[in-house]
Amino acid sequence: MTTAALTQGLERIPDQLGYLVISEEGVLASAGELENDEHTAGVIMQMVRTACRFRLQGAAEPPFKRISVMLEDFVYTVTVSGQKVFVVKRQNNQHAPVTV
Amino acid sequence: MEATLEQHLDETMKHPSIVGVLVTDQQGHNLGCRGSLSDEHGGVVSVLAKQAAGLSKDPTDSPTVCLESDTGNVLVRTHGSITVAVHKMAC
Repeated sequence: MTTAALTQGLERIPDQLGYLVISEEGVLASAGELENDEHTAGVIMQMVRTACRFRLQGAAEPPFKRISVMLEDFVYTVTVSGQKVFVVKRQNNQHAPVTV
Repeated sequence: MEATLEQHLDETMKHPSIVGVLVTDQQGHNLGCRGSLSDEHGGVVSVLAKQAAGLSKDPTDSPTVCLESDTGNVLVRTHGSITVAVHKMAC
């Protein structure tokens, strides 16, 4: 698979600040704020391995479809497909809850 | 203190979409749990929270990790020295 085929969908995600495509061998593609970000790639791979060990009774395999990590200003959205891990960094547009 | 925690867990479980709640310390020891989340999940929950903290440059920023599936979400967040996980079913 060419790099373009791996990343053409990621490029079009609204509000994306950068992305990573990772396999067990390492980073296959990266762009934007995540360009050559080996540190983030390593942490995300560790998190995917940890999350795969999370078993809920009667739940499907793998135990998650997507992992989101929400930080103050941005969100990492992680999906696993075909032995590859896709990571997108997006602007966090969540607003503080309104107290009524 | 335990009684207050137990009360909080019971209160959380009253929410109709919440089916499990778990509180662990930094070592992954279970401090209390209800419903679908039990002792066996403590380790994974505290490790996930710790790993997620490595994604932020700001040490005061506490990330929320969400494991999403078709049936529901598990939300994990650290508050000070404890980590809380909530299992929420899809509405």
